[in-house]
Amino acid sequence: MQIFPIRAFDPPVTVTSLRQQVREIVRQHEHRWTPEERCNPWLKCDAEFSLALGGAGLLGLTWPQQYGGQERSVLERYVVLEELLAHGAPCGCHWIADRQTGPLLLRYGSEHLREKYLPGIARGEVYACIGLSEPNAGSDLASVRSQARRTAGGWVLNGQKIWTSNAHACQTMLALVRTDPGSERHAGLSQLMIDLDLPGISVRPIIDMTGEHHFNEVFFDDALIPLEALVGTEGEGWKQAMAELAYERSGPERYLSTHMLFAELVDVIGADPPEPVAQLIGRLAAEVWTLRQMSMSTAAKLAAGEDPVIEASIVKDLGNAFEQAMPRLIQAAVDADLLAGSALGRMLAHVLVASPSFSLRGGTPEVLRGIIAKGLGLR
Amino acid sequence: MSESRQLLCDMADGLFSDLAEAGFDKAWPRIEEAGFASLLIPEEQGGFGGGWGDAYAVLRIAGRHALSAPLGDTIIAHRLLMEAGIIPPAGPIGLAKANGQVGYGRHCGSVVCIEGGELRLVEVATSEIVEGYSLAGEPFDRICPAGAPLANAHCAANLSALGAFALVAQSAGALEAAFELTLEHVNTRVQFGKALGRFQAVQQAMAEFSVEAAAIDAAGQAMAAALDKGCALDDSTGFEVAAAKLRANMAIERCFPIAHRLHGAIGFTMEYALNRYTRRLMDWRGDCGNDAYWAGILGRRVAKLGGCGLWPEITRRSDAAAPAE
Ligand SMILES: Cc1cc2nc3c(=O)[nH]c(=O)nc-3n(C[C@H](O)[C@H](O)[C@H](O)COP(=O)(O)OP(=O)(O)OC[C@H]3O[C@@H](n4cnc5c(N)ncnc54)[C@H](O)[C@@H]3O)c2cc1C
Repeated sequence: MQIFPIRAFDPPVTVTSLRQQVREIVRQHEHRWTPEERCNPWLKCDAEFSLALGGAGLLGLTWPQQYGGQERSVLERYVVLEELLAHGAPCGCHWIADRQTGPLLLRYGSEHLREKYLPGIARGEVYACIGLSEPNAGSDLASVRSQARRTAGGWVLNGQKIWTSNAHACQTMLALVRTDPGSERHAGLSQLMIDLDLPGISVRPIIDMTGEHHFNEVFFDDALIPLEALVGTEGEGWKQAMAELAYERSGPERYLSTHMLFAELVDVIGADPPEPVAQLIGRLAAEVWTLRQMSMSTAAKLAAGEDPVIEASIVKDLGNAFEQAMPRLIQAAVDADLLAGSALGRMLAHVLVASPSFSLRGGTPEVLRGIIAKGLGLR
Repeated sequence: MSESRQLLCDMADGLFSDLAEAGFDKAWPRIEEAGFASLLIPEEQGGFGGGWGDAYAVLRIAGRHALSAPLGDTIIAHRLLMEAGIIPPAGPIGLAKANGQVGYGRHCGSVVCIEGGELRLVEVATSEIVEGYSLAGEPFDRICPAGAPLANAHCAANLSALGAFALVAQSAGALEAAFELTLEHVNTRVQFGKALGRFQAVQQAMAEFSVEAAAIDAAGQAMAAALDKGCALDDSTGFEVAAAKLRANMAIERCFPIAHRLHGAIGFTMEYALNRYTRRLMDWRGDCGNDAYWAGILGRRVAKLGGCGLWPEITRRSDAAAPAE
């Protein structure tokens, strides 16, 4: 039984120039970035950098030109993403919109919604957040209770989302809500594009354990959402949200988000490390290299039109475990005086505390392993 | 997979599954007859004309069937001897470790030793043989040459790296076989009124197992692809072989306990097949470079690249296949 059939990632002809382009743009902006930002790059926000990427034609890379896209290939986009992550470029402003909201609108959204949002996302101006989790709907997402009632004047929305990354900076949210009153579980759900400046919507910060304001609670109190905000088909929200999660889970950010911590370790330790640290570096290099092979194979499958749900879950589970172990292993092996006050020390301190979130955002190990077990025929 | 590799794999799978229970004496003549030894010899020199990807695929299948023969050593020895301009003798050919140990040494006609840039082909019949066994009960003998070598030549190849290549391939196959056996077991063994595989704890362990089986094969295939792209094997610090062997060792470490835990006592018996895979895996984990060995080599290499050099090096090595713009 082939658990993870490998598909070769044939580098696009533009691979060298694309890498060069991203490295150059990073070089122009990196003077602004803190060590903490660089080792959690797709969470941290730099609006100016997002605009620069949009201006350089590096967002909405695969989308049709009529919506501001570049009509380039899935593999070219993959190359751009891995370069941004490996260089610790803060992409938090646009990441979600570019990764999942835009593609979902292209797949299911009306012409009106595409024209309204996609060009702004591709310019790096419009940011979107993910409105899935609620206080009683975490891993068990089908327990979503926020409810939108259809009226002649629009959807009347009540309820609450929670843990919403970056909602305070986003103009819009793609939300999963119940549109069929009294429905249960997977039925009766729909997706709405909700502009967060509408009356009846309030965003409240939640401070995370790194001390930062990253995620939020979002409350809907008789908010009136235009009828045309419906994405795709009414009642098909569950299926569409699963497609959205597939975009969310399959990228290189599931193993490469702390790469700068690793690179900084290598720099600080120098060309002739003590044996235990040399071995640690070797181990981390072997893991990152292997994960990259798996991630590239998954990207190649996506590019070929396959639906690698199991593979994406495998890469995310393994990648998150790797990213979480890395700071602990470094803390265990590296001399404390190399850490005091240095960029390495700041990165390590940040990632040690931030790392528990890596395996929560986008689905927990238990949930991912449940998906894998289903693929093995055990569930 | 190319058509010719598919044919090769079908042939290997058919033969090796036939030989799965066979000992060396029964297995070897059929392997030799099938011509696998010349897998890495170019067609114009009378060989099969395969690449490292083909060798990986065949050795992976050998691992799946716990083949009792020094196939990897023989394939690699043939390649080294041809490159050195020496005609390979018939029969299995072993590769000597630094301490003179050779898998299936007593059964080999000859053994390749490389030391200080010199390859020597040693005849087993005239050597002293100190018999021993691997963790898996396979012959693992010390061959102490007595007379002059049959042939010698300059050779820059690194036997640890070449041996590691074969062991990664075999390990990927053996780990997959152990996984399939465990999957079948949890699907059929009933406790507390249901198949073990219906318990969430068991499902989660199987998922972990499959993730590692996926990782070892991804690493192995990428290693073979890099060799086919011409990443030099005489470079003792070859990035991909080091990374793949280390990653394989890590996968074995994680899966060995899961396979045995989920099997219960039946998996601890000599009769049940699991130990044919797991004992080999644990042996190969320590052979041709354990974790410390390869982690040290790879780590020192990365340290020389520096933090800013690591990522460009990783991407450069995989982009090498890109057509010119
Ligand atoms: C930094 C960060 C950013 C986030 N951003 C967003 C966002 O932008 N938008 C959004 O919608 N959500 C977001 N989330 C929420 C995230 O999706 C959830 O945290 C995640 O789905 C888990 O849900 P939960 O926190 O309610 O935990 P729970 O579901 O309560 O799980 C707690 C524990 O129980 C385990 N568990 C639950 N069910 C089972 C089961 N059936 N079997 C075995 N074990 C089980 C889980 O695996 C976990 O270990 C974010 C989370 C974090 C940490």
